[in-house]
Amino acid sequence: MKVGVFISDCGGLVSKVLDIEDIEKYLRGIDGVKLVEVRDSFSSGEGLERIVRAFKERRIDRAVVTECSPKIAEIRILNRLKEEGVNPYLVEIVDLLGSCILPHRSWPDKAVEKAKVTLLAAVERAKLLEPIESRRFPIEKSALIIGGGLAGINAAIELIDTGFEVTLVEREPFIGGLAARMVRFFPTDDCALCVQAPIYELKGVTKTSRKGLYRSGVSELPGLNIYTNSRVVSVEGEPGNFIVTIEKKPRYVEETKCIGCGECTKVCPVEVPDLFNAKLKSRKAIYINAPNLYPPVYAIDETICKFKECAKCVEVCPTKAIDLDQKAETIKLRVGAIIVATGFEEFNPEVIKEYHYGEYPDVITQSELARMLDPFGPTGGIPIRPSTGEKAKKIVMIQCVGSRDRRYNRYCSGICCMIALKHADMIKKLDPESEVQICYIDIRTTGRMHEDYYERAREQGVIFVKGRPTEIVLNPDSGKPVVIVEDGLTGEILNLEADLVVLSTAFVPSSGSKELAEILGIEVAEDGFFKEYNSKLRPTETKIRGIYICGGATYPKHAPTTALHASSAALKAGKFLRSGEITKDLKVAVVNEELCGDCEFCPVVCPYGAITTVEKEGHVVARVSELRCEGCGICVGTCPKNAIELKHYTDDQILAQIRALATKLDPKEPVVLAICCAECGHCAIESSGIFLIEYPPNVRVMKVPCAGVLKVHHFLEAFNAGVDAIMVVGCKPEGCHYEYGSIKAAQKVAFTKTLLKALGIEPERIEMFQMVHIEGDRFAEAAKLMVERASSLGSIKEMIKI
Amino acid sequence: MIRVSADFAKEVKKRLGGETITNCYQCGTCTSSCPVARVTNRFNPRKLIVQSLRGKRDDVLTGEMIWLCCSCFNCQERCPQRVEIADLIYALRNIAISEGNVPNIYSEFVSALYSEGKLVKVAGFTEKQRENFGLPPLKKPDVEAIRAILAETSFGEVLKVLEGKE
Repeated sequence: MKVGVFISDCGGLVSKVLDIEDIEKYLRGIDGVKLVEVRDSFSSGEGLERIVRAFKERRIDRAVVTECSPKIAEIRILNRLKEEGVNPYLVEIVDLLGSCILPHRSWPDKAVEKAKVTLLAAVERAKLLEPIESRRFPIEKSALIIGGGLAGINAAIELIDTGFEVTLVEREPFIGGLAARMVRFFPTDDCALCVQAPIYELKGVTKTSRKGLYRSGVSELPGLNIYTNSRVVSVEGEPGNFIVTIEKKPRYVEETKCIGCGECTKVCPVEVPDLFNAKLKSRKAIYINAPNLYPPVYAIDETICKFKECAKCVEVCPTKAIDLDQKAETIKLRVGAIIVATGFEEFNPEVIKEYHYGEYPDVITQSELARMLDPFGPTGGIPIRPSTGEKAKKIVMIQCVGSRDRRYNRYCSGICCMIALKHADMIKKLDPESEVQICYIDIRTTGRMHEDYYERAREQGVIFVKGRPTEIVLNPDSGKPVVIVEDGLTGEILNLEADLVVLSTAFVPSSGSKELAEILGIEVAEDGFFKEYNSKLRPTETKIRGIYICGGATYPKHAPTTALHASSAALKAGKFLRSGEITKDLKVAVVNEELCGDCEFCPVVCPYGAITTVEKEGHVVARVSELRCEGCGICVGTCPKNAIELKHYTDDQILAQIRALATKLDPKEPVVLAICCAECGHCAIESSGIFLIEYPPNVRVMKVPCAGVLKVHHFLEAFNAGVDAIMVVGCKPEGCHYEYGSIKAAQKVAFTKTLLKALGIEPERIEMFQMVHIEGDRFAEAAKLMVERASSLGSIKEMIKI
Repeated sequence: MIRVSADFAKEVKKRLGGETITNCYQCGTCTSSCPVARVTNRFNPRKLIVQSLRGKRDDVLTGEMIWLCCSCFNCQERCPQRVEIADLIYALRNIAISEGNVPNIYSEFVSALYSEGKLVKVAGFTEKQRENFGLPPLKKPDVEAIRAILAETSFGEVLKVLEGKE
């Protein structure tokens, strides 16, 4: 092995503190080091070319480069080497300035020692580096969108405009989702089912094209395939090549033939309460929710239709569109990306017994009120008392029904205040004489133009009672519901008798979300909504590449945010699909099938579902998907048989570095080993350098991709090699870049403590620290603590001797 | 100047029954659930909690409000934030008693319980009525056993405080 070491002086900053000649001499003495060069910089110009030439002329086959802005230098150096056909994984980059100079300005002598040992460890690691292969995986340039509500439709339009084929799957017979029921939308007060017209239409029309769903032309988009009455039942394959099975229930009406004349409903003898319209009217077995929906085609409710016994509709249909023999279909397709847009639904308030929803007919929910306020709805736009059919003149609304309630849903649903204000506004505009009273805990109108609704409501005379009602009772004389509530601002208990009580219920994940998450291999959060990969920066991505989430499926949202979210998911999916392939360096976990067998721990701990098991010669072995593996190594840290290794961070490579870092140049000084993850852990250490916070140079740093890769025997080997104390530095558990690597590492540290105790070694020689990247000061404190501890406990060698 | 502080809430949170006080977001479900608050504005559980949260220790512990709760637990059942309101009021009463703040009626109950084994002396009228209804006469409680229980529990502490007060 021929290692070249290239030390960048960083404009003289390094030589100002460290004796570079001394370091050079030390390096030349290390076995395998064939070349040592010092220059002002190695990340560009002649310096960089010297590294390239050394490789190309075969004077070296591994390299260690020190640079002062290591990340940027790393990108430049590795890209340049790649261009020249040198495998970039043969180079180890060290940040001498940030790790050995800036944080140790007060101890220049000790800093030299630390620099030597750090470089020694880098050389030892470099000797064991292996080239990493890069592989291309083809991507099918099409997408599946699950859920045909506002989010799904918007995402579909965006993706098609970007140039991809889209299959939209909706489980109901009509698309439109919750929006189809909600009449008007804030903040524009226009119809809920108005969608942005697709771009191909804009060519012919104008930029103002915002159209009702049925006339938007969505259905005619080239490349859009809509399956209504359908469900995704299984998803197999890999990111970029998902094989999706869709089950399509029969509609019994041929979509291409039906002209929506409605002759069929006239003769249909079966009548049931119309759930879409809050049971305020009835519908037939052959029906359409509203004439302005898509597809504008009737559907048969197979749970109630009498089929061949009756078949009256078949006779009257002028276009012979009804086919009672239609069977369920199974459709298989291959897509590159999947967007989940399954939305949310109203919480069923029946469980809150004291509000008597479902028992008192005049207690309804906001979506039921929305049906009443729809001019084309069952009551012609007039709020009524369902018990009598009379116009409701006095309406009491109750906010936070089932939300912000630890018994049901702890979270604030976020949009219910605005829905109540919008409906109050509509009622007041319809009839200024009608009374509206809103019982609230806090009114939340956080959005552009949203506070206007609150202002307007007060101007219109809507009364706001600050209190959450305890109960709704029925006045036996009037038969009307009475809301009992404390007016928190006056301290009086009010009995608000109303014609109609409207519950602003929580919004909860659509039914079936959990099952769908299982099919897709993604997660739902504690609240039941789909979990984003990173709720701050990647709100529409999931932990599986190629699977995206948007709209209410992640949390209740109003229309503007849903549209924004849908665009984001479409952009992410488009970005993924665009290249037609994924190029990936295979820095992945590899299974040694001879050692692997039967425990099945790793498939459970892999955050990315990258590990499956296969039967091999009578026992079960793990198989890693190269595409899904993100290279965290949590599987490695978990494997009880050392049967799985992470490329570029193999056991040998990790141990070589640990042993080198344990080297004591001054036997009196304690050595503390800080093993950090490459994410927040390393960043915290770097930031102590950047912000010139000092910590003792006895602390020697090494980096692994995620603390989850670490094993107990790494720690024991470190002690064995003479490390006096170990600090493992990982991300905060809730901010771990690999979900729970930091938690796994903490468990292993705790276990190591128990082992040390059993061996008669002080357990406080090892500690786990979890921090976010800006906590350089906390790292420095922790480092000081561990060095003091190591000094007071004395050398580990003494302990091991005993 | 009126001072506001979270110190009292912290103190209450440490007491058995008081742990949930900071869950409260003042929605008033408790007050509208309360049978006492419906007949008198001298008792309002929401106000009692807000006073505690604001640190009005003296007002809470020397006032009459904590003693007016009838322990029906309606508020506790309906509280959307799972504030254990009735238990919280017991916690406040325990603090008040330990500082000697207890209404006379409670002292009377306690001494009656200690001496007779009953909170209220049974009137001759009641005994006669039982006879009229064909019910057996009431058994005499085992006062010694009751005293033993009282002594073994922290009720003994309460007794000491009350004795000290007299």
